[in-house]
Formats: sequence, structure tokens, C-alpha cells
Amino acid sequence: MSWSDPARRFEPAEDVQLRAELRDLLGLGPGRAPSEVEPTPELKALAEDLRREAQRRSRTQRKRPTWGLLAAAALPLLAALAGLGGWGVQQKHRADDLAAQTLRQEQELTRLVASHSTELAMERQAKAEVQQQLQLASRKGNRKNEPFLVIPVGAPLKVTGDDYQRVKQDPQH
Amino acid sequence: MAQPAPETPFGTQEAFHAAFAELYPRLVSYARRYGAVFPEDIAQESFVILMQREVPVEHPTAFLYGTVRTLSLTERRPMKNQNLSLEVVNEPGLAGGADDQVLNQEVRERMRMLSPTFREALWLFVVEGLSIREIADILDIPEATVKTRIHRAKAQLKDQLNPTGGVHVLV
Repeated sequence: MSWSDPARRFEPAEDVQLRAELRDLLGLGPGRAPSEVEPTPELKALAEDLRREAQRRSRTQRKRPTWGLLAAAALPLLAALAGLGGWGVQQKHRADDLAAQTLRQEQELTRLVASHSTELAMERQAKAEVQQQLQLASRKGNRKNEPFLVIPVGAPLKVTGDDYQRVKQDPQH
Repeated sequence: MAQPAPETPFGTQEAFHAAFAELYPRLVSYARRYGAVFPEDIAQESFVILMQREVPVEHPTAFLYGTVRTLSLTERRPMKNQNLSLEVVNEPGLAGGADDQVLNQEVRERMRMLSPTFREALWLFVVEGLSIREIADILDIPEATVKTRIHRAKAQLKDQLNPTGGVHVLV
């Protein structure tokens, strides 16, 4: 044959023998030598048509995008993703700061509430002690100690005729 | 001054014509065996795909057979018959043409009795005359697997010839 294929040129002898055995088992008879098929004009024309078609397709075939082109196309997307990621990280830090600030305020409020409660309890206790002392003092003391003025009086006053004077008013003419 | 002949996967233009004249009918027959509706189109498309490649293939014959096989199976895919493997060898009206010139009825019957997996490797090795390496490329399996399938096909053929028994070893 005028054309050759390296895979068949270097076929091992054992493979050739195996093929012969199999041909015998199938009843195909001895293997025919690779005859050189004389191409007919129709086959030649068809082969040339196919070759031209392959060349035409190679010329008009859209080239596959290269890695650089793909990277350039993906660059805006990557930039958007990076920006989004940065914004997300920033928002997370902000949220963490706000949470920490809220926690601090809550702790401060708790501390103030505890302090005021203590003061209130002390005031109540002081008031109770004062009242208790007042009660004790009122029990021990007499009426002089009462908080109103007492004026001692002598014999009661008699009402005499002179004590009052009827005043008649003359009718006015 | 004569211009140099254009390079083809098979060498010169004359070599390409010779290879095309020998391989094209075989590829048409091969596509027909897979039940292709348009085997001629598939064989021609395989040649175009081969010559269209920018990087030359190592084994163009194996590439052609593999492309025909893939295109034939793809053509059958809508019919959900992907598992068929040379199943249509003996179907009436599908295995005619070049096949009848290669195989007689008895040989076809023996081939039909083989399991489809072994039959495919055996067909490529014996009838198509492809090498183990080429068959491995076509079927996309290791060379050792191709040899195993061929030897098992050989054992099945021996079983067919000696149905009453007899012991043979797998060599």
C-alpha cells in the first residue's frame, strides 16, 4: 500500500499469528495481503471535496477563546466579587463594633442599676431608723414634748351685762 | 516548477487518495454495523474531522474508526440504543453491501454467537485488520483489555466449534 500507518508497520509477530488463528477459526481463510486499491476518479473527487471542506472549516472556524481572553472577560466579575467581599468584611467589622458597644452600654446600665439599688436600700434603712428613734422618743417623753402649744388658763370668765352693749341703730329718716 | 504536494494525515496527496479509497468503504460498512442511518455521511465527516485537526494524530486509521463509532452511536442516541454494539450485523437490510463481500453466512453466524463486547474487538482485529494499539484507541480502553477480549472471543469460537466439551486453556 502506498500509504502507511505506523501502528500497523510495527505490529508484533504474535499479534499477526493470533489474527491468522482467528481467521482460521472463523473460516475466513488466510489473510489477504494489503492490496493497493486503485482509487477511482469518483473517490478521488470525493476525497478532494472532503479535503477542501476541511480547509474551509479550518479557515472559518471560530477560534476558541484563549486563557488571556477568558481572564479579561472574567476580570469585571472578579473585581465585583472582590468589591462585594471587601464591603462584606467592612460591614462585619462594623457590626462587631456595634455589638461590642452595645454590650458595654448594657454592662454600664447594669452597674448603674446595681449602684442605685444600693443607695435606695441605704436611704430606706436610714429612714426606718429615724422613725424608730422618733417612736422611742415619744414613748419616753411627756406631753411637754408634744408638738403643739398648751396655754394654761385660770377661772373661766363670767359674762356680765356690761360686757356687751346693744347698739340700736336709729332708722334714718 | 511543480509545487510540493499538500500534506495530509496520510502523507502526500496520492497516499491520501489511496488511503481514502481503501478506508472509506470500510468506514461506511463500520458505521452501518452500528445502525447508522447515514453511514456515508458519517464516514465523510470522519475524514473531514481528521483533516481539520491542527495537531496531527498518531494513528489516523484508529482515529477514523473511533470517530465513526462515536458519530454512529451519537446518531443512535435519540433512539436510546446506546448499549448496542455491532448488534445489527445480521439484521436484514442493514448488514449488506461491503459486509457480504467480506463475510459469508457461516462466518456471520459465528460472529453473532459471540458476546457483543468480544465481537467488537474481534471484528476490528480480524476483519478490519487493525492492530491492538489502534483498537485500544478506538474503544478507549487499555491494550491489555483488548487482548483479553480477543482471547476470550477466541475461546468462545473454540467452544462453538467443539460444543460437546473438551478442555482448552486461555492463552
